[in-house]
Amino acid sequence: MNPESRTRPSKTSSANRRLYVWYGALLFVGLIVILRLFYLQVIRHDYYRQAALNDQLKQYSIPAERGVIQAHDSTGIVPIVLNQKLYTLYGDPTLVKKADETGAKVAGAVGGSAEEYANLLKTKKTRYVVLAKRLSAVQKDSITKLKLPGVGTQAQDYRTYPEGSLAAQLLGFVNNDGAGTYGIEQFLNSQLAGSPGMLKAITDAAGVPLAASRDNVQINPKAGDNVVLSMDVGMQKQLETILKNGLDRAKSSSGSALIMDPNTGAIKAMANLPTYDPSQYYNVHDGNVFNNAAVSSPLEVGSVMKTLTAAAALDQGVVGPDTSYYDPSHWLLDGSEVTNIEEDGGAGTQNIANILNLSINTGATWMLMQMGHETGKVNAQARDRWHDYMVNHYQLGKLTGIEQGYEAAGYIPPPDKGYGLQLTYANTSFGQAMTATPLQMAAALSAALNGGTYYQPHLVDRYTDSSGKTTIKKPVVVRQNVVSSKVSRQLQGLMEYVVAGHLQEGFSYLKFPAGYSVGGKTGTAQIANPTGGYYADKYNGTYMGFVGGDKPQYVIVVRVNQPGVGGYAGSQAAQPLFADLAHMLINDFNVTPRSGS
Amino acid sequence: MDGRRRRTLAATTVGAVRRHKPDYLLLILASLLLTIGLVVVYSISPGLAASQRISQNHFITKQLIAVLLGAAGFAAASVLPVEFWRRNAKNLAVLAVIGCVVVMITPINATYPAHRWIRLGGFSFQVAELIKLALLVYLAAFITTQLKKGKMTDFKSTLQPLLYLLLGIGIVVAKAQSDLGSAGVMVVMIVAAAFTAGIPLKRIVLIGGVVLVLVTLAIASSGYRRERLANFLHPQSNCQGSGYQACQALISVGSGGLFGLGLGYSVQAYGYLPEASNDSIFAIIGEKFGFIGTFIILVIYGAFITRLKQIIERTADSFSRLLVVGVMAWFSTQMIINVGAMLGLLPLKGITLPLISQGGTSLVFMTAALGIVFQISRYTSYKITGPNITTDEASRISNNSFDGRGVRRPHNPALVTRPRT
Repeated sequence: MNPESRTRPSKTSSANRRLYVWYGALLFVGLIVILRLFYLQVIRHDYYRQAALNDQLKQYSIPAERGVIQAHDSTGIVPIVLNQKLYTLYGDPTLVKKADETGAKVAGAVGGSAEEYANLLKTKKTRYVVLAKRLSAVQKDSITKLKLPGVGTQAQDYRTYPEGSLAAQLLGFVNNDGAGTYGIEQFLNSQLAGSPGMLKAITDAAGVPLAASRDNVQINPKAGDNVVLSMDVGMQKQLETILKNGLDRAKSSSGSALIMDPNTGAIKAMANLPTYDPSQYYNVHDGNVFNNAAVSSPLEVGSVMKTLTAAAALDQGVVGPDTSYYDPSHWLLDGSEVTNIEEDGGAGTQNIANILNLSINTGATWMLMQMGHETGKVNAQARDRWHDYMVNHYQLGKLTGIEQGYEAAGYIPPPDKGYGLQLTYANTSFGQAMTATPLQMAAALSAALNGGTYYQPHLVDRYTDSSGKTTIKKPVVVRQNVVSSKVSRQLQGLMEYVVAGHLQEGFSYLKFPAGYSVGGKTGTAQIANPTGGYYADKYNGTYMGFVGGDKPQYVIVVRVNQPGVGGYAGSQAAQPLFADLAHMLINDFNVTPRSGS
Repeated sequence: MDGRRRRTLAATTVGAVRRHKPDYLLLILASLLLTIGLVVVYSISPGLAASQRISQNHFITKQLIAVLLGAAGFAAASVLPVEFWRRNAKNLAVLAVIGCVVVMITPINATYPAHRWIRLGGFSFQVAELIKLALLVYLAAFITTQLKKGKMTDFKSTLQPLLYLLLGIGIVVAKAQSDLGSAGVMVVMIVAAAFTAGIPLKRIVLIGGVVLVLVTLAIASSGYRRERLANFLHPQSNCQGSGYQACQALISVGSGGLFGLGLGYSVQAYGYLPEASNDSIFAIIGEKFGFIGTFIILVIYGAFITRLKQIIERTADSFSRLLVVGVMAWFSTQMIINVGAMLGLLPLKGITLPLISQGGTSLVFMTAALGIVFQISRYTSYKITGPNITTDEASRISNNSFDGRGVRRPHNPALVTRPRT
């Protein structure tokens, strides 16, 4: 710097020099920023891209629509289980500024306690509180209209039941996790549920997928099959009413009834009491009511078993329908006495028809003895043959495979293992010391009556998949020649004889219009005491019968647990129920009378 | 021949410049930045609305109103004579002080956690922006006076008031309003004015020392600033906690890559990156437009700053010159603090990206300041001038603009070759 520059206005250039220094510094900072940007966006791009995807990319399952359940009606096919969208109302407390005011508005729109909502919305350290569940579309709309910040709704599919609690236990329900539980819903869960789709999507911070993203992958869900049941809605309704009235009359708190088509194995109606409302399954306190007892609750069936014993003995040719024999009215087997607890004919000459009509335990035992050709002993041959009939002909002690959750197999004692086998087997000939479900008994009796074909009992008539293809399920034959067709006709006659006999005894409700074939058998089953032996004063009333013309068209099984009315449980409690059902079938469900009548 | 004559003329009329065409390129660059801001805010509006559950049009409407107000502010400032600002420098300072008082008695709440905003109806007003404008004008007026008196090197009459001003900003803006970012911008404005006005370097070092002490005190006295500093020094250590915004900003910028995800494809704006339309908008631009986009933005800012520099070089008087110096300091510092924070080069500060960020007060005051520059750009000379133009000359210039009879000559520093002698 020369001395001149200090005096002259050379500060001009000095000041601009400072401006340039500053400007240069800014350019330098700009360069650093650009280098940094290049480092972050180009060199480190993959790292940050991955870090972004870790936050943003989420995988969701897209629920498939569950198949509906339908059934037959006089008018055709009607729905009995449908889907319905209901809404869950939730709040994000971090976005709700005026919790009290919001709570009051929510309560005004959908009901409930304003204070409770407000307290939920004041929850700290969460972004999700459920305010209300199962709101209807109308309620959802009224809350949406308010446009409350931090409050939203979420749609969810629920089952809805146009027929209310009809056939509740047979249907089952869909639990909160979307899983079918009990009944058809459980057994056919995977078929009804379909297969969920998948969405892999970039989402916002709250997890809502962004439509615009190019990284999204979507696999569409496949809807579940729609199922049509063999059930007849009209028949089911009447059966439920009759069961309720019958149990009331018999002063019983629980029982079951079912109607099966013996020529296909199709279940036409089936119910148990007590029952529940499947749309409010979550309000049930006693889980037992979910059970379809007719399928999942085996019992010692009692004297109804004598029909199957008789059919087995007839089929083996060891007795004929008119055979007479001497009945001692008690047998001493393995140190214990087999006696008669029902209508005792006393010692004397008896025949096969009376064994059923008078329900003679010692008579059933005598038929069993004939299977081993040794009166007075239930020998190994008798046990083997009877066991073969029970398990292999009548399919007892095995699951039938009906489309129901929690089916039970029941119990048939082995013929060759254990103590007191003679006594045990004698007991099985009249339905004690073994267990079976009402459904198993219905299927076995159907086979014994229809000419000898055991059809698998079933509830599903047909199903339609998501592409619209309908598959009609054909009846499944499990076994031919359960008994010969001749024996079937003989058994039909024997059971008609029982109904006629009881009518004569004064059970006037057993009078049916001429031309119809109605047969049956009562059972008064002793109940095993868990501590050993049987209760002295507790019985289950059972009844097995049929309605038809030339051939049986409906098989009916009734079970009344521990009736409070006096007399034999089978005759006093179960038989009237059977009669009501038989009258209903004849009156309303096209039973074809005998030809020529 | 013509050009030569003009050049000669210009050379002889230094100090008696006449009104000519303003710097339209500056206006174009500013409009470009505003437009980019509008487009980006519009494109992320659905995301912002979704994460906050408000109307989709909420943010873009607010930003449009801000731009319209800004245009009005710009228009008003661009026709007011520069002399108006000198005469009203004190009034503006008084207004800023009143603002500081009002903001302290405005209650704070969850959305407005510091004494930074005056709220009236649905609008909120950030006082720091008013202070910046007042500081800009007052500083220019004060230093011009000192220059005229020849007391620029005098400690007591020049430096001491500046130091008090620094201290006042430290107490009022950094401490009371908890706005260290804005305080930083103001400090740079003071330092830049002092520096370019020719205060001896030793004094500048003294100012720098005072600033350093103030910044240290500010950080040490505030828990959240210490945390932000720690997060800045160790960016990955606290991504889920208080370092969340810094981490998400880096993820946004880095995930953009070379070409970006595209205008409509920002994901980070959907609730991941806080203040996406506002303080963090640069990171969103990085995500949408990639390195190419951010590079172009920086080039635009570079051109903008260069333009301001060229006007400073050619201003006809000290007051105007200092006003533009202040504006350049204001814009450049704010841009560096904002971008630096998004790139992890500086700790996070709640400060807007000039002319792009959504944020009404900042936008209106910045466009108003640009209006002043626009007016000044009508009176630049062909020749690069210095800071020592006398105030007499300056007043003559302003009188010129008052009588409206000034010869309008097509002049724009960018259109003529820089005369070098």
